[in-house]
Amino acid sequence: MRRRALVAAPLVALAAYPAIRPYDTYQHTVMLLALLLAIQAVSWNIISGYAGYVSLGHSVFLGLGAYTAGILGVHTGLNPFLAAPLGGLVALVLAVAVGVVVLRTRGHAFVIITIALLLATQIMAINWAWLTNGSDGITLSLPPWSRDIANLPFYYFFFVLLLLTLAASAAVRRSKFGTGLVAIREDEDKAAAIGVNTTRFKTAAFGLSAFFIGVAGAGYAYFLTFLNPVGAFSILGSVTIVLAALVGGRGTLWGPVIGAFIVQFASEAATVYGGGSSSRVLLFGVALALVVLFLPAGLLPTVQAWWLRRHPVAVEYTDHAGALGAGPVVVTDRRPPPAAAPRQALLEVRGVSKRFGGLTAVDSADLTVLAGTVTALIGPNGSGKTTLFNLVTGAMRADAGQVWYDGRRIDKLPPWRRGHLGIGRTFQVTRLFRGMTVLENVVAPLPDGRWRTMLAGAVNGHEADRARDLLGLVGLNRFADQPAGSLSYGQQKLVELAQVLMLEPRLILLDEPAGGVNPSLVDKLCGLVRELNAQGVTFLVVEHNIPMVLGLCDPVVVFSRGTAIAQGAPAVIRNDPAVLDAYLGDDWRPPGASSGVSPGAASAGGGAATAVGTC
Amino acid sequence: MTGLMSHRTVHPRTSSLLATGLATAVALALAGCGEPQSAQQNDPDKPIVIGTSLPLTGDFSQPGTQARRGYEIWVEHVNANGGLLDRQIELKVTDDASNQDTVVADYTRLITQDKVDLLLGTFSSLLNYPASAVAEKNRMLYVEPAGGATRMFERGFHYLIYAQPATAPKQADVMVEWIKSLPADQRPKTAAYPTQDDPFAKPVIDTMRAGLEALGVRTVYSTVYPPDTTNFQTIASAIAARKPDLVAQGAVFEDGVGLIRSLQQLNYSPKILFQTSAPSNANQYSDAVGVANTEGVFYTVSWNEKAKTPLNQEFVAAYAKKYNGETPAEDAADAFAAGQVLQAAVEAVGRIDQKALADWLHANPVQTILGELTWDATGAPQSYFLLAQWQGGQVEIVAPKERATTTTVINPKPGWQ
Amino acid sequence: MTELVQALALGVLIGGVYALLASGLTLIFGVLHVVNVAHGAFLVLCAMFTWWLWRETGVDPVLASVVTTPLMFGFGLVVYRLLIVRVAGAAPAMSVLLTFGLALTIEGVLNVTAGNKFRSATPGYFSESFRIGGISLPKPQVYGFLAAVAVLGLLYYVLTRTWTGRAIRATAQNPTGAALVGVGATATAGLAFAIGTATTGVGGSIMSVLYPFFPASHYDWISRLLGIIVLGGMGSLPGALVGALVLGLGETLTATYGSLRWSTLVFYVVILAVLLVRKQGLFGTRLREDVAL
Repeated sequence: MRRRALVAAPLVALAAYPAIRPYDTYQHTVMLLALLLAIQAVSWNIISGYAGYVSLGHSVFLGLGAYTAGILGVHTGLNPFLAAPLGGLVALVLAVAVGVVVLRTRGHAFVIITIALLLATQIMAINWAWLTNGSDGITLSLPPWSRDIANLPFYYFFFVLLLLTLAASAAVRRSKFGTGLVAIREDEDKAAAIGVNTTRFKTAAFGLSAFFIGVAGAGYAYFLTFLNPVGAFSILGSVTIVLAALVGGRGTLWGPVIGAFIVQFASEAATVYGGGSSSRVLLFGVALALVVLFLPAGLLPTVQAWWLRRHPVAVEYTDHAGALGAGPVVVTDRRPPPAAAPRQALLEVRGVSKRFGGLTAVDSADLTVLAGTVTALIGPNGSGKTTLFNLVTGAMRADAGQVWYDGRRIDKLPPWRRGHLGIGRTFQVTRLFRGMTVLENVVAPLPDGRWRTMLAGAVNGHEADRARDLLGLVGLNRFADQPAGSLSYGQQKLVELAQVLMLEPRLILLDEPAGGVNPSLVDKLCGLVRELNAQGVTFLVVEHNIPMVLGLCDPVVVFSRGTAIAQGAPAVIRNDPAVLDAYLGDDWRPPGASSGVSPGAASAGGGAATAVGTC
Repeated sequence: MTGLMSHRTVHPRTSSLLATGLATAVALALAGCGEPQSAQQNDPDKPIVIGTSLPLTGDFSQPGTQARRGYEIWVEHVNANGGLLDRQIELKVTDDASNQDTVVADYTRLITQDKVDLLLGTFSSLLNYPASAVAEKNRMLYVEPAGGATRMFERGFHYLIYAQPATAPKQADVMVEWIKSLPADQRPKTAAYPTQDDPFAKPVIDTMRAGLEALGVRTVYSTVYPPDTTNFQTIASAIAARKPDLVAQGAVFEDGVGLIRSLQQLNYSPKILFQTSAPSNANQYSDAVGVANTEGVFYTVSWNEKAKTPLNQEFVAAYAKKYNGETPAEDAADAFAAGQVLQAAVEAVGRIDQKALADWLHANPVQTILGELTWDATGAPQSYFLLAQWQGGQVEIVAPKERATTTTVINPKPGWQ
Repeated sequence: MTELVQALALGVLIGGVYALLASGLTLIFGVLHVVNVAHGAFLVLCAMFTWWLWRETGVDPVLASVVTTPLMFGFGLVVYRLLIVRVAGAAPAMSVLLTFGLALTIEGVLNVTAGNKFRSATPGYFSESFRIGGISLPKPQVYGFLAAVAVLGLLYYVLTRTWTGRAIRATAQNPTGAALVGVGATATAGLAFAIGTATTGVGGSIMSVLYPFFPASHYDWISRLLGIIVLGGMGSLPGALVGALVLGLGETLTATYGSLRWSTLVFYVVILAVLLVRKQGLFGTRLREDVAL
């Protein structure tokens, strides 16, 4: 309650200000420009803060909204306030159309493209004079209200719009849409592997980030009563948005608002006291450089971190929220996976090849995983096992061959689609999203491609309850609110497993689950695998810990130089000369008689003998 | 860092504390006077403040600086001669950096924050469009020394007055008339029309082209280039390849100089060269292209330093005294004239009443250094321009006859030096 | 026909100068993986300095590059040590933002000290041309082209025949490997940045004669240069050369047969098309798919 009051106080102050001082037109003007900048910064934050795709051309949407209102006003006389939603729609449509193509790029390429788009739009606005009146610009009719009201309607228009934008941004962040976006920012390939349809998420975020700016653009046009291409599509406008969001704290909800007010006031002060707009460019340049160098996280996170240091919060070890917050327990029988007749092939890899330049990592490999088994995939380092995993999950495209899953061909499908079909995968080195809590990490995966799932709540609701249950399954409930990066390595592996389970997978690919993990945790992992296998989940496990493999898995497939060289029950594999050759080299001879090789010797260079955990 | 609100008890508190603090600081810092907008009281001890924003930097810095000089000389002249309504006047100038958003903010601030008594306009149609809208919204008289684009006067504004003899489309008439006056065998046969994408320059060239085509002059080349163009080689090549007799360029300043330089590089000199605006910049123009190369260049102008119009000699003398013996540029003269218009209205009406001033100007002529100016209901002036030509390093008026300072007309233009 | 040949000639001449300007930018990207958005601002800064030098002492602007190049080299080293080295490991967007901030700062400083007015150095020959057949080759363009070619040749020599140059190329191709064979990564990166910036010394001096410029001109220049290096392949010097010639010709031909209003669009369209269809441009190298660029 108190928290709500504190959040509401500045908003109430903003709402009441013009009522208290109705004649301060100049101050209202400065404030409404700050509100406009805040709208843009909060919107920008959705694609560039949450999803990490930094756009340096975002003011193009303001221009689009402004021109929509202007053109409609000229041809139909429609009041720009009424045209505002159309402005938003135009911006949204163009953002989605462009985003679908442009969001395929990352890093440098994306930033450069956004700049190029902005400037290209400016040129087109200048040259398509039949639509935009070119450089002459568009003049809108003056507002009809009396002079005493001055800029108040604009003030409230932007204020209400800011509230709507903030509400949208908060709703996004609180849903699986938001966790998906943060996942994309942190590790886009991992996000795809856990069922996040990265194309759809990014495009939706880009479109949403454009909508409110487009609506604001219409109001802006009305405020200026004059539009021209250079002013409407200016690169400095985009830089201001970025600066505002950076200063306040990119990726947070309120940071962009705070940053926007600071930047707008500072800019106005520079113009009034600092000798005109020449110094404004200097101010922006210096501020941008300083913020990037010394305050890249922004003001809000820095202040919060400082506050946390002064007032450390004790870590809670009981999952109060989970226990008290979980809704009434609804028992649904977990539907057993569609009965595949036992011993039917769930995964089939047929003649798959992958080359990297001159290196052939996977060479016409064939592999079959029968449903209901825990199949092991072993082999020396560099034999192509992880690459094969990547080809099965879709992180890479094969150069040749086919991958079949559950009777359908999947090698042309994107990674998230394969995740929705029920393929889950853990990684050799854990890839959790460090910017989120453990609970958020587990909520992030999407088991299906429906919009409803995407918009489901990430903190409350069905999905969050499911995530808490899974965390309980792996025994890590008490860490639900800790940042994922603060867990130990072994604990992270367990969280990753919980993530995979959110997908309701039928096939789980485990990439070296026991690597770097102490023996008791290895036991726990094996126990989990057995339990899940009993419920019908098929496993394909890559491991170097041979005792664990031999105890847990049947059959065992041996990989060497990019292809499978042997397959069979553990006991058979243990003695296979081809396997021994591959692991130990062709000049190795077993010590003593050929009655069998001791388990220790059969493990590939490294994990040997007695200290290794077994299952 | 990005924790959800319900689990991080700290974040919303600090963020909203920060925001509350900010809002409070803002409220305190912006405490200002709370009276409604009302006209300043006519206190005889306080000066009358006249506010203006000018492009002192940026694309239009050349004309903008000239306009400032014109305003300042006018202010000095008025103050030296008893002031306005027996009060001294004070000029408040801000720089809009040739930027439209800035000019809107500047005039809004001048009107609502600084609460100036009177306004004077800025330079260039591009800037005057939005600035005049601000003035109109606030019902303040807006006398502008520049800004003759057609659409300026199609908005139904009542407080807008353009202090020049005619609007942009009408400027070209006098040149077309002169060409018409030539015997048929001396007229140009072909013409090229490069123009900047400027709301003032372009209409001038468009009407000239229409007028000349009606006379049978064939258009061999026509192009519109963006305002920040600095590379004129392709345009110059295209012109040189087609060898038109007449080249009419819609220029502002830098581009006028640039095209001449490029034509020099290609060694092509048209028989008749007409440029808008650029040649009116007196010494700046002749220094930039070289005095010898100005010979024979035509342009239309609203003012001439030799004219015997009221206060013209004083203006020229004051300018020369203040600026190293230089001849004023046309933009400075237009600014001075705008001041004269404002002054005439105030003195006639006897008080600072924006509506009364606007009404009076719509109904009465004003004598200025540009000659007599009158306006129609939209604020568009009803007089005519002069055709000027550079001759021997000086500017002469060659048409219309009643305002001409010489009967010599250089035709054809000599080659480049 | 003459018009076409004239346009082609002008396109090649300006392409040569573009190649020089772009070479520095692509070198910096190749070694540091930093897009130096401030490259255009460095050009304008140097052009302003050259103009001032010419106005005070009468030194020929193109020859003034003998002075401006080492100055810009030192400037590049300073900028690297103070600024660039801090964002070397961060996300790519950060280096773009930082260099953008630097560009704005330079523009702001020039605005405040020199004023927002057009300037142009005009030595005696600036309005003269060489005439060959029916074609006019403006002298500033020719001198600029010759200077650009000379410096490009020098750059090629340094990069292929000297130890420093090889160290730079090694670091560009494989930083870890280079470090393993004794190439100091930071020092080499700094050197590469400084050399790349030094090219703006010559470029800026040439530019001061070719076109009028004012502090905000850097936007036009960086747009062109980005288009060129994207087309040629970011990090590839031969690519910069080819890209510059292609775009120089493209720009001139569009301006001659189309209109100047569309000619700047050529660069943006190239950027968009190349980055979307073939990210590595004409000569760039393609990285493994599982590593995000």
